[in-house]
Amino acid sequence: MSDPVILGIRHHGPGSARSVLRALAELQPDLILVEGPPDAQELLPLAADAGMKPPVALLIYDPAEPRRAVYYPFAEFSPEWQAIRYGLANGVPVRFMDLPQAVSLVPAAETAAETAPEVETGEPVDCTAEAETAETGADTDEAETQIVESALPDIRRDPLRWVAEAAGYGDGERWWEHLVEQRQDSRELFQAILELMTALRAEADAQSLPEERDQQREAAMRTQLRAAQKEGHERIAVVCGAWHAPALANPPPAREDNARLKGLPKHKLAVTWTPWTHGRLTHASGYGAGVAAPGFYQHLWESAGEPTNRWLARIAQLLRDHDLAASTASVIEAARLAEALAALRDRPRATLEELNEAALAVLCHGDATPLRLIEEPLLIGERLGEVPEHTPTLPLQQDLQRQQKRLRLPPEAGQRLLELDLRKPTDLERSQLLHRLNLLGIVWGRTEAASGKGTFKENWRLQWQPELAVAVIEANLWGNTVLDAASARARDLAQRSEQLGSLTELVEQTLLAELPDAIGAVMERLQNVAALTSDIPHLMDSLPPLARVLRYGNVRQTDAGLVGHVVDGLATRIAIGLPAACSALDDEAARAMFGKVQATNAAIGLLQNPDQTALWQGALLKLADQTGLHGLLAGHACRLLFDQGVLPPPETARRMGLALSLASEPAQAAAWLEGFLHGSGLLLLHNDVLWGILDQWVAGLAAEAFPPLLPLLRRTFAHFPAPERRQLGERVKRGGAGRGRAAVEADVDAARADLVLPLAARLLGLA
Amino acid sequence: MSNLLREHAEQQFAEELHVLAETDQRPRPPNWHLSPWAAATYLLGGTLPNGFAITPKYIGSRRLIEIAIATLATDRALLLLGVPGTAKTWVSEHLAAAISGDSTALVQGTAGTGEEAIRYGWNYARLLADGPSLAALVPSPIMRAMRDGSIARVEELTRIPSDVQDSLITILSEKTLPIPELDTEVQATKGFNVIATANDRDRGVNELSSALKRRFNTVVLPTPETLEEEVGIVQQRVAALGRALELPAEAPALEEIRRLVTIFRELRAGTTLDGKAKLKSPSGSLSVAEAISVLNNGLALAAHFGDGRLQAADMAAGLVGAVVKDPVQDIIVWREYLETIIKERDGWKDLYRACRELP
Repeated sequence: MSDPVILGIRHHGPGSARSVLRALAELQPDLILVEGPPDAQELLPLAADAGMKPPVALLIYDPAEPRRAVYYPFAEFSPEWQAIRYGLANGVPVRFMDLPQAVSLVPAAETAAETAPEVETGEPVDCTAEAETAETGADTDEAETQIVESALPDIRRDPLRWVAEAAGYGDGERWWEHLVEQRQDSRELFQAILELMTALRAEADAQSLPEERDQQREAAMRTQLRAAQKEGHERIAVVCGAWHAPALANPPPAREDNARLKGLPKHKLAVTWTPWTHGRLTHASGYGAGVAAPGFYQHLWESAGEPTNRWLARIAQLLRDHDLAASTASVIEAARLAEALAALRDRPRATLEELNEAALAVLCHGDATPLRLIEEPLLIGERLGEVPEHTPTLPLQQDLQRQQKRLRLPPEAGQRLLELDLRKPTDLERSQLLHRLNLLGIVWGRTEAASGKGTFKENWRLQWQPELAVAVIEANLWGNTVLDAASARARDLAQRSEQLGSLTELVEQTLLAELPDAIGAVMERLQNVAALTSDIPHLMDSLPPLARVLRYGNVRQTDAGLVGHVVDGLATRIAIGLPAACSALDDEAARAMFGKVQATNAAIGLLQNPDQTALWQGALLKLADQTGLHGLLAGHACRLLFDQGVLPPPETARRMGLALSLASEPAQAAAWLEGFLHGSGLLLLHNDVLWGILDQWVAGLAAEAFPPLLPLLRRTFAHFPAPERRQLGERVKRGGAGRGRAAVEADVDAARADLVLPLAARLLGLA
Repeated sequence: MSNLLREHAEQQFAEELHVLAETDQRPRPPNWHLSPWAAATYLLGGTLPNGFAITPKYIGSRRLIEIAIATLATDRALLLLGVPGTAKTWVSEHLAAAISGDSTALVQGTAGTGEEAIRYGWNYARLLADGPSLAALVPSPIMRAMRDGSIARVEELTRIPSDVQDSLITILSEKTLPIPELDTEVQATKGFNVIATANDRDRGVNELSSALKRRFNTVVLPTPETLEEEVGIVQQRVAALGRALELPAEAPALEEIRRLVTIFRELRAGTTLDGKAKLKSPSGSLSVAEAISVLNNGLALAAHFGDGRLQAADMAAGLVGAVVKDPVQDIIVWREYLETIIKERDGWKDLYRACRELP
């Protein structure tokens, strides 16, 4: 029985991947062991499926609590991925070997890791902590180490740093990059890595004992390796993080490992493949084993022969896409400079550093701004993986995929704007799907303000994030189709919601998402809460959205009857409660209430229901008569009634005279005026009586009362459009009454004017 | 010691260049006196295997110098860009000295620089006497450099009128200088290259045409990144200049340099070093070069009129002169800085008083 060949790698290194492939071709193994979760063994063959396009990730989760999940991402340039594909393509059995997540996932979540990563990255538990770190080729589980115990010795955190510094490099990653990832020969390389790691681990062990979890993992790997040897495999290749290599090469007695693994608790987990993105492979995304520039690595992997030229050509193309000049001649010069720089720095070929510097000096003339412009598409090279259709999925996922396909709405990693015309059936269904998903917490798209008027348009900004896959699994608890799940979720939210505001929002969402099974329950709940609420302002806030739904509901084909019932109740309660709610308000509160009265008035107008209008007008009349009411509200109520023809002009004039009479407080009078004239002075221009009252009032003000009032009056008049103000001013100059204008009107020859009328009527479409 | 006020780089550092050339084992591009590695060592300093120490000429990013040398090694022209006083000329002189052993092939760009400064002129007496001939031709520094295969330097490229600038295009792309009058040309020997400098702060200069820009690799020289780096530069240069000018004064204390550099950095950045207070920035560029000259000025004052030690009063005059370039705007900036920052700082009282005494 020959010794297994151990290929120590860095998890996402194109150079490692290439070396692994070469080593495998040379070795012709009869079994490949890959560091990875044995839980996913059954799903391994799917990796060779034609529909599988990296980046993808293995997702292992607890079916009882889907938020507890672990990802194992694979890019095309990941050595493990290439090893798996090699094995599957050549009929060599491939196995995952590691401590099963069935053992390690749950206990980790019970300790520190549960809270910490969630806070840190806002994504499912353990993604950073557990999903294979080893950015530097040495699998140190960096994030986990940081969380559990931050005072670990330096060597475990970043072992390559030690070697790199000895070799005169700034950091371990760069050192590894130059010596390992860029190297072209293979087998001896792995021997060298093994020896290097053995020395480093000896040093690390001398400083402190390894973590228990690490020891368990390595014990599990060794146990699986022994089992494979016992089965009679002769040439075993092991692909694992470089840091683990020594532990597998020099195993302790089997007894110790068995003892270590004995009695560990196991939990039942579910496994699936899920699409991943390059963006989520970066360090910046919070992924511990992330790489700085997945786009560059992908490029290195794809263009094996001449990475330099192709990379610079790509920069030039991206620059041109942004309308920046980048000639082919410059690309040639940049390539020459990059190679000269690499030679000057004793590097076998230009690295990302040299390429970027060359691009800066030649293509961008020393100005870094253009490079920043193309940084993201260049360095990250966003792409979203795909998984085959027959990947085991949950019913909800399948339903979602079916709908995505039917509505031609494929998930994409990049941001995309979607403009929907709700009059078209497909667009309407798309909108409903997106609203339903939002209700379920699967925030694939966000609505944006639609340009132009019309309620039939809806703008969405879509971006599919890989972690939404977890949200989908989680949402599966609610039901097996998107419709069922969203309905159940809406009903549940409604039951748990006590606030009128959030309920109104929910009603709106439910209506937008078109959930006939849920809307009844939600409305009922809204009515119950509204009945109990004594908070009139809240009720007033809820009315306008519902009124809009009722009025424009037909576009969305929502059931208006349900809403109408609720709106009736709301409008009645508001009308009854309004006078009480408006009493004893200070300036600020009055201003807030002023806005609400306006909105409610508009909503009532929208409803065009005579009963509600009458009720509302009654309430306004009460407001106008209420003593001690804030001037702003009293004035506005008066104005609204005047506009709606409830108060005839003479009555309005009487009320204005009353409000502006000398006995009332000047500040109060000014507020009344502001409420009354809100927004437009046209009324004054066209009504001589009102004009006269105002004129009298201003003229009658005492000299000492006028200056303090001036700012208040100015506030009122400043909101008028400029032409109105000019007309007002001209009228004042002429000295009060607008006789001039009236005289002109009197001169009109009625007979001649009548001749124009038929044509005017035709123009206006009245004929 | 020579009698010259200032020696060329290749004269002042002749020994370093000599030792470098002797120990240099790396391949050299044709007609280069040093290999690119040795040239980088010459500029950035270091210790040779035989223990000989090379003083650093440029203190700052190694990356930038490497790009500059790699550019010259690829026969592309080099454009050094930066605000005034960021050692553009200094770097270009030393690069030329290291690569060609000669930094004197220099064209000073001004608004009046004509084509003959870049191409060639005529000796009119000979021209009239003998008619057009190579003997009547007065070669420009660039033409000479082309013949010799050495580095030519163009200072302040953006000050040269655009039409004159563009006469460089053929030289840089086809490496030839046609002489239509004689129906001949001068073709560049290997090793020829051009280093140009330009400052990107001044407005109203002649922007390079994109055709010419394309022929240069651009390296932007920044102002020093940290206080310590800047203090180091000033200290080294002041000591070297003091020696050259034979000033009978002590080298200034590090504390004094640090104080001056702090003032310069704060005013340049528009904020105090601790980031707590915002300041107005004066119109001048307040470069390292100006800090050096303020200190030298102070040293001269101390040597000839003071007690030979640099005091706050000796520095104050030069300091105010360096900051206040615009008599209306900058004086306000300076007064504010003086009264709000300098006055409040511990141990800066002497400087405050010295500055107050000035009109």
